[in-house]
Amino acid sequence: MDMSFFESKMGRGLLFGGLTICLLLTPTFVTDIYILSIFNLMIIYAILCMGLNLILGFTGLLSLGHAAFYGIGAYTTAILMTRFGFGFVAAFCASAVLAMIAGIIIALPTRKVRGDYFCLITLAFGEIFRLVATSWIEFTRGAMGIVGIPIPKIFGLQIVTETHFYYLGLGILTFTYLTLRAITKTRYGRAFIAIREDELAADTMGINTSIYKIMAFSIGCLYAGMAGSFLAVYQTAVTPSNFRLEESCLMIIMVIVGGMGRNLFAPLAGVAVMTVATEVFRSTAEYRMLIIGLIMILVLLIRPQGIFGSSSFKN
Amino acid sequence: MPILETRDVTKRFGGLVAVNQVCMTVNNNEILGIIGPNGAGKTSFINALTGIYKPSSGQVFFQDKEITGLPAYKIAKQGISRTFQNLRVFSNISVLENVLIGAHCRIDNPFHHIFLRPLRSRKIEHQAYEKVIALLKNVGLEEKKETLAKNLAYGEQRILEICRALASDPQLLILDEPCAGMNSMEMDTLADFVKKLRNEGNTIVVIEHNMRFMMTVSDRIIVMTAGAKFREGTPEEIRNDLEVQKVYLGEQEAERC
Repeated sequence: MDMSFFESKMGRGLLFGGLTICLLLTPTFVTDIYILSIFNLMIIYAILCMGLNLILGFTGLLSLGHAAFYGIGAYTTAILMTRFGFGFVAAFCASAVLAMIAGIIIALPTRKVRGDYFCLITLAFGEIFRLVATSWIEFTRGAMGIVGIPIPKIFGLQIVTETHFYYLGLGILTFTYLTLRAITKTRYGRAFIAIREDELAADTMGINTSIYKIMAFSIGCLYAGMAGSFLAVYQTAVTPSNFRLEESCLMIIMVIVGGMGRNLFAPLAGVAVMTVATEVFRSTAEYRMLIIGLIMILVLLIRPQGIFGSSSFKN
Repeated sequence: MPILETRDVTKRFGGLVAVNQVCMTVNNNEILGIIGPNGAGKTSFINALTGIYKPSSGQVFFQDKEITGLPAYKIAKQGISRTFQNLRVFSNISVLENVLIGAHCRIDNPFHHIFLRPLRSRKIEHQAYEKVIALLKNVGLEEKKETLAKNLAYGEQRILEICRALASDPQLLILDEPCAGMNSMEMDTLADFVKKLRNEGNTIVVIEHNMRFMMTVSDRIIVMTAGAKFREGTPEEIRNDLEVQKVYLGEQEAERC
């Protein structure tokens, strides 16, 4: 296929405008609640994976605990809204900030610990979070989870139906994209890439690599907190099983299959492929994972850089 | 006036003394060559200057400020920029982005400005872009600005690495074995390029094995052996120094010369 048209300015504009209109009109064409719910699920993963792409695709930090930050966001919203009478907007902001603070704390060891060892820290954090959420029954109600999260209101507007949630999610996704694009177009985005490519060289270019790694990680976690908050009000319940290691792995798979790095939309291709595959093969029960694994291997064999990726994963 | 001065810089790795009490100065707008056999401690010395290693003892002064033991990114900000012996370009990104990253510490764009003063932020980024384009034009890589760095020819990657180092407007440029793996034609081009940079007002330190290159390029040469400074002089003096020949070629070979 000739890609040059899509790379020209006009082509990109047309593609972009067309996609935006399609996305905005989706609920008018898609009346099936089930299909719309899959769209909403995709939006949640899209927000998560765009954030994860900053950590994994730009900065090259492998985080196996991304679901934990997602969970921190979800639990913060759930607890603030059910017990402290917070409105959705306030709880949403608190979730994002709290997830970001947790991200800063977890990323602090990157000053001394690198590569595989950092990956183990995130893995351990993910497990600790899940165990705390399961075992600290007074606070998180354990495996039963927190239920009865009130209907979110934004400036008096009640968010009730799938369509409402669709537009709310799309709004958060747009915010994620616009902020990430602004960041990655500047010297900050380039510094993250420099760290992925060669940390020592980045250091001698005047990049304070420790600070930048913490920055990339915590910004990625901020979006995870937002996605979590959205999940909480969307499901009206949160349970620890939403934030298992499998979720973290699924996000990484989505980012890798879609494509890491510069193209911020690339991970969304992975999100679409993996979510649709999960739903289509739902009837095959356990064999589903087999098929999903196969899809992943095929994509990586045919396009190692991901469906829309530009740079392949190094190290 | 010296812009860089080292006093008794020493670097030990356990029992091994890699750099042994090296004192030297770099004068403004000169090309200083550092030569020496393999394992003489040239690269270790440079690593100790640029913050990759912390010197075990001794002091480093840059433009009358002490920079001993500062982290590498701070030293880069002070105005010392370097390249690497084993080529460390960012291979999976474009030539343009490589050089833009080199300019990182000269782009005055605080993080909150991205959102609070987006116009200013964009303007500053654009200025950096124009500066980098001018730099790429100067070295003849402008047409390849969208090429991935790993797809450049080896010699071009070397030039790109120097260009990336130059993007930070360094007061001192350190080239660690810029000729490694080059053929003699590429070497001559590089020699002309380095001399051109000096004539444009840059101060350069070059570490190199290749004597022909060093003799044509350097204004002054320091010979290192076994971690210590051994000789210092003009290329002419170094060439005719019997002791230096012995260090390089061994006793009998030197006599035959």
